[in-house]
Amino acid sequence: MINSLRAALVCAAAVAVFASTLLTSGVWVQAAQQQAQPGVAAQAPPAGAARQGGGGRGRGRGPQDPTPRLADGTVNFGRVPGEKGTWNVPYITNMAMRVVTGPGSTQLVPEIVAQQEAAAAARAGGAGARGGARGGGGGGRGGAKSEPWIPWMPWSAAVYDYNSKNESKYDPEGYCLPPGGPRMMATPYHMEIIQMPEHNRIVMIFEGATHIWREIYVDGRKFPEGDALNPTYLGYSIGRWQDKDTLIVENKGFNENSWLDYFGHPHTDKMEVTERWTRPNKGQLRYEATVNDPGAYTRPFTMMWENITWDMDLTPELPEYICQENNRFLNRLTDDLGQPIFGPRQQPGEKPARGTR
Amino acid sequence: MVRRKILTAAIVIALPAIVAAQFGHPLKGTWSGEWGPKNSPTRLLLDFEWDGKDLTGKINPGTGAEGTVKKVTIDYSPVTSWKVQIEGEVNEGGKVIPVRVDGTLENLGAYTRAFHGTWTQGTRKGEFAVTRN
Repeated sequence: MINSLRAALVCAAAVAVFASTLLTSGVWVQAAQQQAQPGVAAQAPPAGAARQGGGGRGRGRGPQDPTPRLADGTVNFGRVPGEKGTWNVPYITNMAMRVVTGPGSTQLVPEIVAQQEAAAAARAGGAGARGGARGGGGGGRGGAKSEPWIPWMPWSAAVYDYNSKNESKYDPEGYCLPPGGPRMMATPYHMEIIQMPEHNRIVMIFEGATHIWREIYVDGRKFPEGDALNPTYLGYSIGRWQDKDTLIVENKGFNENSWLDYFGHPHTDKMEVTERWTRPNKGQLRYEATVNDPGAYTRPFTMMWENITWDMDLTPELPEYICQENNRFLNRLTDDLGQPIFGPRQQPGEKPARGTR
Repeated sequence: MVRRKILTAAIVIALPAIVAAQFGHPLKGTWSGEWGPKNSPTRLLLDFEWDGKDLTGKINPGTGAEGTVKKVTIDYSPVTSWKVQIEGEVNEGGKVIPVRVDGTLENLGAYTRAFHGTWTQGTRKGEFAVTRN
């Protein structure tokens, strides 16, 4: 039986670190309630409410407050002077279940809504449907066929089927490699956004995701060309303000060492990601990512989530978390041929190693 | 059995160090191993690129021979072991010789993925096994 890397690493860590927090905040309960309602996962909260955004740590204070702004009127994605706070990033295991009808839309694609409605109906009928309930992202592990709205290429569909079948055994994030790309905002640890308008740059720092940071240049520069655009996990990020409410970040120059999500949607180094960041109110961050990867998908698609909540109470400052420390799962992980993924290889004639396949 | 031993030997030789995996198209990248008779195998190098439409690449089946990949066909239906057919040609001593490869791509998700099968080069035919570098 294959053990999930996520179960061994991220889930375990998240449970250990956040369990008491979540019990008090009720954010997971809210998330579960949202999933039970077809179409709700990516919809904007009704006016005056904070259905997705109000459940994080610090709940009850943020949503009622207006969006903080910098001196020039643009959105302040970080702290206001004199206070502390961090963003509580949700755990989204399957980004396919967050695909909306297009950039700027909050409406899930009709196929997801139909799938959620069917799952809700099945639950109501006692059938215990799996869809929509697993890992905060829903969708079960039905492989590429269960996500017909994803514009697969044959190879990317086949890789996804493979990752589904082995339950994401090879998830690079399970090796404590950086999530990369949009997955940075789907890995369930806290993060902070620090704007430095005087330097025309924005820095994002992450508690999890290998304790990493990313830098967004907001100085009007162009992308490096050719070999100057060195492929990296996080890519090269250039931001601009569409208006004073929306920060648009164009990203390219990704390497191929990451997955889009835990479920194992692949990408290539041809991927370009356009992010749209907004803060509808003080307590809520809305994140949208349009993935354009002509190496893996036949057309672009857009994903969105807005249940990123502002936490002033329980995690007002980022703690240190080192994924690489004591990652014992790697020691017993074996590949499809029975060989250890890490550590000495088996010699010809040796007895196959026992481990997680 | 022989093929399995060649494959295992190739893995052992090629993989003392584990580095970050490449999770794009599983065939993309450079591969090294051997083909031919067990008692006198020939070094084999493959290099594939994926442009979003086609797999292209270079093949180097031993000293004095180098060539290009002309066509790659993949059967994705076996979920854990894809069937790969490659057509190409090599220039060997000034002569252009057709190459046909019928192989299985295994261990798809691991950095240590393996590709093995039958290598036909002109009138010569033998087993081959390569692993991702």
